Amino acid sequence: MTTLDERIAAAPGGPIEDYVAALSAALHGPDRAKERMVKEIRDGLTDTAAAYASDEAPGDEAARRAVRDFGTVDELLPGLQRELTIAQARHTARTAAVTVPVLALVCILIRTAEHDPDWPLRALASHLAGLAAVAGVLATAALAATGPLARWLPTPHRLPLVIAWTGTGAAVAMGVATLGLATTSALATHWTLMVLAGALTAFSHAVVAASARTCRQCARLAAQ
Amino acid sequence: MRPDAVRGHLDAMLLSVLEAGPLHGYAIITAVQDRSGGALELRTGTIYPALNRLERLGLLRSSWQSVGERRRRCYELTNVGRRGLASERSAWQEFTSAIGSVLNPAASTRPAS
Repeated sequence: MTTLDERIAAAPGGPIEDYVAALSAALHGPDRAKERMVKEIRDGLTDTAAAYASDEAPGDEAARRAVRDFGTVDELLPGLQRELTIAQARHTARTAAVTVPVLALVCILIRTAEHDPDWPLRALASHLAGLAAVAGVLATAALAATGPLARWLPTPHRLPLVIAWTGTGAAVAMGVATLGLATTSALATHWTLMVLAGALTAFSHAVVAASARTCRQCARLAAQ
Repeated sequence: MRPDAVRGHLDAMLLSVLEAGPLHGYAIITAVQDRSGGALELRTGTIYPALNRLERLGLLRSSWQSVGERRRRCYELTNVGRRGLASERSAWQEFTSAIGSVLNPAASTRPAS
C-alpha cells in the first residue's frame, strides 16, 4: 500500500510533477548539483501537499495549493540558477586546478624528450609551466571568493562569467600547446614522451574547455 | 509581513530554526512559520537557494537521512554557523534598539532627575 505523498509524487502529469519538470528544464548547471536541487524541491512540495491533504483537501487540490505557496517558476528561477551558476563556476575552477599537476608533468616530459637547451619546444614547456601556475592561483582565488570568503565579501555578480572566460582562455592556450606538440613530436629524440605530453595536454584542454563552455551558458542564464 | 521585508532576514531565521538540530526542507519551512505565528508571508520555495548558499559558505552542512518512509536532505549548523547565528542575533539587537529609539523616543529617554 502506497502512502499519500507517494501517490501525489507519482501522479503522471500532476501539478507537482509538471512544476518540477518545468523547473528542471529551465535550470542549467552541474548534473549532480541540479539533480540534488530538483529532488529536494520535489520532496518539499510532496511534504507540503501531504500536510495540506491531511487537512481534508483532495490530493490534487492539495498538490496545487503546495505549488501555489511554493512560488512560481519565474519567481524562484533566478535564485536557484544563481546557486547552480556558482556551483558550475566552482566546478570549472576545480577542473582548472586539477590540470595544474598534469601540465607540470607535461613540462617535465617535454624537457626530458629533448636535451638540447636551444630546442624551440623548451619555450613551449615554459609557456605551459606559466599557464599551470596562473591557472592554479586563479582557481584557488575563485574557490575562495565563492566559498569561505563570501561570508565577508559579497560575490560579484559577474564573477562566474569571469571564471568562465578565464577557463576558456586557459583551454585555448592548452589547445595551441597540443597543436605545437602534435606537429613537432616527430622531431624529438624521445618522440614517445612527446606524444604522451601531447595526449595529456589535449586531455586538459578537453576537460577545461567543456566545463568553461557550460559555465558560460550558466553565467548568461544567471545574468538574464 | 511583506515578503520583501522578510527576505533580508531569511539567512538568520534559517540558522535560528536549525540551532536545535538537523531538519529537512519542509520541516524548516514549518518551523519558521510556526515560530512567526503565521505572520511571515514567505514563498516556501525561496528557502532552497538560501539553504544551498548557506551550505556553500560553510554555515550549514547537509546529508541524506531517512525521515519517515523516505530519504530527505537534512541540514544542520556547523560551528561556523553557530558563530554566524550569534553574530546575526547581536546585529539584530543593535538594529532593533537603534530603530526603536528613533520610533519611540519617549520609551528610550530617561526621566530628568
